[in-house]
Amino acid sequence: MLSELKIDQAVELAPILTGEVDLLPVQTRYSLRVKPKERCAFIEASNIDLPAQIGKMSVQYDRVVLCIGPDEYILICSLAEREPLARKFEELMGKYIFSATDISHRNVSFILSGEQTTNMINVGCPLDLSLENFPVGKCTRTIFESAEIILFRMGKTKFQLETWRSFAPFIVGYFEKYCLQNRGK
Amino acid sequence: MLLIKCPYCQEDRPEIEFSYSGEAHIARPLNPDDLSDEEWAEYLFIRSNRRGLHHERWLHAHGCARFFNALRDTVSDKFELTYKMGEPKAQVKK
Repeated sequence: MLSELKIDQAVELAPILTGEVDLLPVQTRYSLRVKPKERCAFIEASNIDLPAQIGKMSVQYDRVVLCIGPDEYILICSLAEREPLARKFEELMGKYIFSATDISHRNVSFILSGEQTTNMINVGCPLDLSLENFPVGKCTRTIFESAEIILFRMGKTKFQLETWRSFAPFIVGYFEKYCLQNRGK
Repeated sequence: MLLIKCPYCQEDRPEIEFSYSGEAHIARPLNPDDLSDEEWAEYLFIRSNRRGLHHERWLHAHGCARFFNALRDTVSDKFELTYKMGEPKAQVKK
């Protein structure tokens, strides 16, 4: 049995961010490591769709799996799935070569949306976020003003940004500054 | 800001995602016990410190978190090419 997750996400959003930045409620997150040659067998056994290529993501129901390294995946889903997943991984342990680490408590997620989203992210992140270079469904680990983030695009003007809980207030500070300076322009 | 091509991500990425990890292609001696102190010191500390094209290791720390090798010109700072770990020492085609 897993203990119940009671997490203070340790970040508050100023009213100025309403509609542009939203904090996701507590999520289940797993860090998965599966070697490329084990990938197909693992997918079949677990029914978790691991993308084949770095930078790609897969969506099943409300479950998102990001491929951020040659053998590294981040699985994000609702809290209700936490226990079934833990049981599933326990079952598969020993039969397949993989590692699964519960990192639900480590991150917080922000949903960024609106016309200004790419500009707001570019305040602290130098990636080219044009649709050609960063299409819907692309994900990556990168850096936002010296804090490590995982960024993925869910729609033309909708991104999800994952970061460590302790970095969150720092990053939100940049969003607030951006909104204060650019409101009404 | 420099753009560095990560051979694993197959993309040009901003340099702040990377960190430098010294000269590449320096193999650890198979039997350190057989070496004299001078030879061991040579392995540990002595580097070519080249002016011009230099083979070096880089880590895509805030990306795919993989080490790879690069051939960089230490004068112009230009990355001639990058290649995956384990691939043979790359040469520039003239």
